[in-house]
Amino acid sequence: MLNHREKRRYVAIMYDASETFRPFQLYEKIGIRFKELFGIFQMQSAMLKLYDSELGNIMIVRCKLKYLDCFLVSLVLSEPPLTVISISGTLKKLRKNVSKMDFRNIKNIRS
Amino acid sequence: MSKLSGIDIIGIESGSMSNISPQENIILRMDEKNPISDRFPYLIVTDNIRSLDSKTDLFLIDPFLGKDALKRKAKRGLGIEISISPVRKLDANLIARWLKELKSIYIFCQSNDCQFILSSGATSTNEMISARSFESILTVAGINPESYWKKMSDWLYTKTKARWQNVKS
Repeated sequence: MLNHREKRRYVAIMYDASETFRPFQLYEKIGIRFKELFGIFQMQSAMLKLYDSELGNIMIVRCKLKYLDCFLVSLVLSEPPLTVISISGTLKKLRKNVSKMDFRNIKNIRS
Repeated sequence: MSKLSGIDIIGIESGSMSNISPQENIILRMDEKNPISDRFPYLIVTDNIRSLDSKTDLFLIDPFLGKDALKRKAKRGLGIEISISPVRKLDANLIARWLKELKSIYIFCQSNDCQFILSSGATSTNEMISARSFESILTVAGINPESYWKKMSDWLYTKTKARWQNVKS
């Protein structure tokens, strides 16, 4: 029998550094929204996990691919606003993608 | 920022564009035609059903209000936009109702030849929503993202065709 490992996705999320919330608090807020909208069972099945991006106002969250849509909906409908800037199948690749972006420019953009 | 979000063209309120040169990935949103519209592609946007006329390109709808008035005034090709930003502050029950209304407005748009548009309603870059996140919301609401993007590209192309030519010349 094959040892099947479910696919995961790592999501890089940009948050407003001027807000008072820290990444673990934002992660909790997304989790609460996920639970409210899709239920505690789906939330546990999604196997969410917070990682440190080591890059300023960006945090990384892992999610099972099967529940990625639910996770992104919860993220978009959370307060304060959060923006997904990259999604990848491996943490290493995601960190590489994010570091390739000119991060100083991301932080300084004002519309 | 539009590149980071994976979105080719973004709509920006005309008031914030006074000192920026025309770019192909920007469409201005304005209440009525004004001098800056000679240099930019633009869309006439309103959120008031009473000011909805043949010049209006886009009507910003509150999904929780009835569609009865809109049924009488919606013309073929009108864009009907739903904004995500106010939804963040709602509780889970209202969000679920909002998702249900989203689908019903999509069906309304299909049956009336109107263009359904989901927008971030962002007032800053931190509020912007990536293309992949839009697709997730559409999927959860029961709308096919591929057909949504295709129909919106076609609609934008027809709406701004003449205006793009004006900008490039």
